[in-house]
Amino acid sequence: MKKVKLFFTAMMVLLTAGLASAQSMEVKGTVRDAATGEPIPFASVVLHGTMTGVSTAEDGSYTLSVPSLDDAVLEFSFIGYRTTRVPVEGKLVVDCELEVDAMALEDVVVVAYGSTKREAMTGSVTAVDGETIASAPVTSVDKALGGKLAGVQVSTSTGQPGSSSSIRIRGISSINASNSPLWVVDGIPVLTGNFASSGVSDTQSDLLTSLNPNDIESITVLKDAAAAAVYGSRAANGVILVTTKSGKEGKAQFTARAKYGIQWFQSDTGYRMMTGEELLRYQRAAITNAGFDPDDPSGNYYRPMSLLNGELTNWLDHLTKLGQLQEYEISARGGTDKAKYFSSVSYHNNDGIVNGIDYSRIQARTNVDFKLLRNLDTGVRVNVAYTDQNNNIQTDGLGYENPFFGGLMILPWTPKYDENGNHNTNIPENSNKNPAASAEWNQQRIQTYRFNGTMFLKWEPVKNLVLETKNSAEVVFTEQRLFYNELAGYANQLQEVDNKIIQLTTSNTANYANVFGGYHSFRALVGQEATSYYQTQTYAAANAGVDPNIPYFNTADQTQTEISTGITRDALMSYFAIVDYNYDSRYFAQATVRTDGSSLFGAKKKWGLFWSVAGSWNINQEKFLRDFKPLDLLKVRLSYGVNGNNGIAAYKAYGVYASALYNGLTGFLPSTPENQELSWEKNATWNAGLDFAFFNRLRGSVDVYKRVTKDMLLDKNVPQTSGFSTNFVNVGSMSNTGVEIQMDGDIIATNDFLWNVGFNIAFNRTKVLDLGGVDKIEAGSFVHYVVGKSLYSYYLSDYYGVNPSNGEALWVTEDGKLTNQYSKARKHYCGSPEPKCTGGFNTTFSWKGLSLSAFFEFKGGNKIINLNELTYLSTDGKDVSVNQIASAGNFWTTPGQTGVNPKPVAGNTSNSNTALSDRWLEDGSYIRFKDITLSYNLPQTALDKIRVKGLRIYVSGLNLYTFSDASAFDPEAGVTGVVQGIYPYTKSVVGGIELTF
Amino acid sequence: MKKYIFTAALALSVLTGCKDFLTEEPVLSQSDVLTLSTYEGLDKVTAGAYAPLASTAWYGGDFIIINEMKTGNGKKYIGSDFDTGRCTDWYNINYTPDNTSSLWGYGYYVITAANNVILNLEGKSDNQQDLNNLKAECLFLRALSHFDLVRTYAQPYNYTEDASHLGVPVITSVQAATDMPARETVAKVYGQIEADLLEAEKIIDPSYVRAGVKDTRSVVSLEAIQALLSRVYLYMGNWQGCADYATKVINSKKFSMWTADDLSFVNSENAAERATNYENFVYSFDSHSDGEVIFEVYGASGQSYGGGNEAICSLTSENQYGDAGACADLMGLYAEGDVRGTMFQSKLSEKDSRTVYWTAKYFGKGLTTPDYTNTIVLRLSEMYLNRAEAIYNGASISGASTSSDIRTITSNRGAADIPNPSISDIYGERRKELAWEGHEWFDLARTGRTMTRTDSDANAAANEVRPGDTRWAMPIPRRETTVNDNLEQNPGY
Repeated sequence: MKKVKLFFTAMMVLLTAGLASAQSMEVKGTVRDAATGEPIPFASVVLHGTMTGVSTAEDGSYTLSVPSLDDAVLEFSFIGYRTTRVPVEGKLVVDCELEVDAMALEDVVVVAYGSTKREAMTGSVTAVDGETIASAPVTSVDKALGGKLAGVQVSTSTGQPGSSSSIRIRGISSINASNSPLWVVDGIPVLTGNFASSGVSDTQSDLLTSLNPNDIESITVLKDAAAAAVYGSRAANGVILVTTKSGKEGKAQFTARAKYGIQWFQSDTGYRMMTGEELLRYQRAAITNAGFDPDDPSGNYYRPMSLLNGELTNWLDHLTKLGQLQEYEISARGGTDKAKYFSSVSYHNNDGIVNGIDYSRIQARTNVDFKLLRNLDTGVRVNVAYTDQNNNIQTDGLGYENPFFGGLMILPWTPKYDENGNHNTNIPENSNKNPAASAEWNQQRIQTYRFNGTMFLKWEPVKNLVLETKNSAEVVFTEQRLFYNELAGYANQLQEVDNKIIQLTTSNTANYANVFGGYHSFRALVGQEATSYYQTQTYAAANAGVDPNIPYFNTADQTQTEISTGITRDALMSYFAIVDYNYDSRYFAQATVRTDGSSLFGAKKKWGLFWSVAGSWNINQEKFLRDFKPLDLLKVRLSYGVNGNNGIAAYKAYGVYASALYNGLTGFLPSTPENQELSWEKNATWNAGLDFAFFNRLRGSVDVYKRVTKDMLLDKNVPQTSGFSTNFVNVGSMSNTGVEIQMDGDIIATNDFLWNVGFNIAFNRTKVLDLGGVDKIEAGSFVHYVVGKSLYSYYLSDYYGVNPSNGEALWVTEDGKLTNQYSKARKHYCGSPEPKCTGGFNTTFSWKGLSLSAFFEFKGGNKIINLNELTYLSTDGKDVSVNQIASAGNFWTTPGQTGVNPKPVAGNTSNSNTALSDRWLEDGSYIRFKDITLSYNLPQTALDKIRVKGLRIYVSGLNLYTFSDASAFDPEAGVTGVVQGIYPYTKSVVGGIELTF
Repeated sequence: MKKYIFTAALALSVLTGCKDFLTEEPVLSQSDVLTLSTYEGLDKVTAGAYAPLASTAWYGGDFIIINEMKTGNGKKYIGSDFDTGRCTDWYNINYTPDNTSSLWGYGYYVITAANNVILNLEGKSDNQQDLNNLKAECLFLRALSHFDLVRTYAQPYNYTEDASHLGVPVITSVQAATDMPARETVAKVYGQIEADLLEAEKIIDPSYVRAGVKDTRSVVSLEAIQALLSRVYLYMGNWQGCADYATKVINSKKFSMWTADDLSFVNSENAAERATNYENFVYSFDSHSDGEVIFEVYGASGQSYGGGNEAICSLTSENQYGDAGACADLMGLYAEGDVRGTMFQSKLSEKDSRTVYWTAKYFGKGLTTPDYTNTIVLRLSEMYLNRAEAIYNGASISGASTSSDIRTITSNRGAADIPNPSISDIYGERRKELAWEGHEWFDLARTGRTMTRTDSDANAAANEVRPGDTRWAMPIPRRETTVNDNLEQNPGY
């Protein structure tokens, strides 16, 4: 980035040097570093308000002609230093000392179709540099963003390696269209998300995992309409711009990285299963309460104390293990003034904390830039990745094979192995499924092959006009395979899915930038973009009879096979323009407009128009504040814009017949009604922001926003007498309103010691405004969308608690009375899984080469519900054939007790454990100690001895502790807050070494 | 460099110049217009229109189960090993607009598909008979759908003297999403059903059987149309019509009575023996080419509808959910030697130490994992029973009598002869013969008898339903009354 600025500075100087007037006076001086007193060569000295300027010589000296010695103000600037203005006031020698700018790194920020100086930004944009991302030892870049940026919420529904996460920027804006931001890597929108076919296994394979976090130079998040609207129909949920490292002029520099870590499972919340003793006590109490004798061998409920005499197993311990993580990488960076390169190759392997779960990746990148002619540049960005994931057992959801659900149910006295020493599969309480056996014998694997290649050509035919074309191909191939073995209790089933995606993008822009009359900076960009997407999928299945020794289709019972094809194509065509203007770096204005045509919508509504306007005012550049030293930056921003959301499945506008199989024939049935009016969802966003920096130490920003989704895509119920149940139409509206605060400060900053603290917090509220004429849409049995409420509202039976006199479960009825009958309980709206606030804080201490940093992430005010697990694992005695969670043992025993679980009664029909009850609803707030890293950079003197340029060693602890009281292993429960058998966040300790030479 | 500019310009013009760039039509489905514009397309739509009949909401499950569980034929063994919480509300005849039969959507879906064919046939083939055959199939499907809908959501035909009470919407035209059809009177619904069936009878080729099917008894034939007409007239109390159409089917000689051997089923704990019994048991045949079946709904793995854990074969099986049990009230009706008394399976429930019984008519095509079965809709025995009842009520058919028709049934079942059957003998024989085939509830309704049962785990209120009770008509789903302002809900809900 410094190079970019140096380049611009040099250009400015070159351009303006010739304009100096002959009849003027000459001013001389030297520019020095304020701290060290060293002269600064190549610094820019410009007569303020003009384009007249020079750059300093090797010794920091300059000579500049000025028209008048009295009025002239000189502006001294250099990359990494704060720009300083000095009035000449009749002097002939004007020296200047430049102070190091603590915000230097953030000087240039990558934005839509270009980059800009931070001070010039008008929209709501936050950026994180590559080092921050790379230092977190995670598999994929999306995981590293959690808690780092205000208003950017990253949630995962599973901790499984290679899984995808849901990123929500400023809340949720849509019910049926996508809520995920657009990812743009090196100027090209890329594919993201889970590309595993959910019909085959629950494996998740996020395409973002093919990006190596160490290859990233910077990430910018465009949050408001002004920043994002130029991405048009895909910008509604924000845009994440990723820039990868490019080459640097100079001798080749190699960086080698190695890291190794261990991972383990640990419950921080106290959520655990009963021990054998606890469970037997519980069961015997429940059986006695039901009027049976647990010691009667002929009874249905024979649970003698002797069950504890055999071997007792903690099944979760048995099913989990120490995971391992390792990563090796080497990269090279260098170049000449004509050609620059960056290339890397890496290997990553993560062996999960349960058997049968692992993930590995081999990835390589090459970024090359060439200067073909003085005014013609070209370059390529190529990333290739292969990932191989095994998820032989389910690790989320209510599966018998899931160690975090089915595994929990297995009784402590059930033997681990059978008499032959094999995994026991005689486990009636878990449908005879043993996760350990399934992990060993079943196979669920997904391999992905991914190629991203972009080539660009940049030409400056006349001064200040740059024409650029970027052309990219993204190719993804996934092979998914599932085999269910008879040894794990299955019918030797085999399924395979091959998925192929090709996305081609061309992006062509013309950019003109100039400064007129000294004060008027102007930039205009026009562009065109086109994308085509083509996906084919082949699914094959053999439902029985595959030979487990040759587990391929060749051995399958051919009468039990199925095969099908899936094809999806879509296309997007866009034209756009951006106009920037600023006056004297004080007043900034920007307008963007984009029109998108999409094949996803109805013939009459293919094209949409998106636009934004924004302005900002750098108050600190005003005369009255310019000399107020403590103030480094004070800027207000205001923007409004409209962008769109086209994140829907293909072909929704077409009225079609789909095949219907019956009685040996393939017929047709009407499948979708035609909707030629189908169009974009629109998002209109207001944003007001304030950026500030004081004392060269403290910086921060505050943003408030409101975004309203209009023409929301909804499945509107229609009379079934029309032959259809729903029509997919643009009705409905909702809003997101919020505040974001980001602060960063150096508490202590001396030459040797630095203590930095950063903090961000975001508050967002969703509200449903209109659902196309109905009051509510039932999104599921207990999550409703209700007009006037926040987007997700839980709708559950009102559980009151235990009856202190007899230990029965009590419910609140419609008329506010108490009842022991679940069927008479009222249902009510009782909270939302949307957090009221999210954020993070971090702190870093560095002393010489030693650095200790810690990072916490938090979420607050959200509800989570562990309804599906607890209805089985805390049954109040109803089910005495499976293990229960430890807290179920805290039950009513004596009259007068409250706040405990109902009295357990074996085989009871009270429905007290029913899933759809607010009994299982709880606070989902947490603070997660996400990362602590101790690192040491060897000092230069030592490095010189061993002839290397840099050596860093570090050790990190990840997710070491989570502060939460949730009735779950981990309070992270995805966007809808539903906990069910989730592979939890794992704890890790990772050590690594980075060597630069 | 010119080359680059040229390339870029070319790429630009190719992409922008191509008008079709933004048109991506689905390739795995076919547009409405194209589908309905050719005979081949219409033929495929006709074939597809049968598919939803097999759904678990209809003949694949609930339409049969709901109506059996509401009578003394069905029993939910509450608290047994086979109580998974399913069927409880059906058994307790406890419905709300939020919890009612979902037949509504499926019925009108088939009607829509049929209408699309009927209204687009004109001129699509030079062979008028080909067009007529498709039309006859669609008319039958439309009539059967309206018939099942009006039986489910309305009081029986004779609830009012002129059947002027509320039926269901009659849909014979293409509907837009904004159309809000109101309920027609029951008389009008039956009128449309009768008209559709009479036209179908007139135009179908008497030897027509849809080509390429696995089960030729699962497609519309002349006799299927006539058999349904016999049933419709029975429900309307048009006794002569009922008897005439039953006679047409009987006299076609295309169907033969099953014998006691065909129906004998020996429940066995021995797996191998059980498998043999199952193979020879006519109800479990994958497809029928002889015997009684006039029209059935075909169930098989890989079809677009039906099957799975909620299918009737799962809910009446010890190997799956098994919530839809058989009632001792029914089983007690079969005298010693009556082979129909053997057509039950049983298993001990260990939790509450009692034996649970199920019908054996829906074994499923996979003994240990039952998830698909055929469901018989119309069969020869019903024709004899229809005719016996019609003659008893005044119809006359030369050469046929109530006692001879009843004798045709009893003599093939190992049951004692009934020399001079009374009306309750006829009803009784009908119940014994057609038990668990979805008849009893509607037969009680149309004959104005009270449903009572004694062997019951149900709520007391669900052990007696008198004529005129609002529960004879199920509530219309709330989602429908919400989106269609013209749709009146049944009283009592």
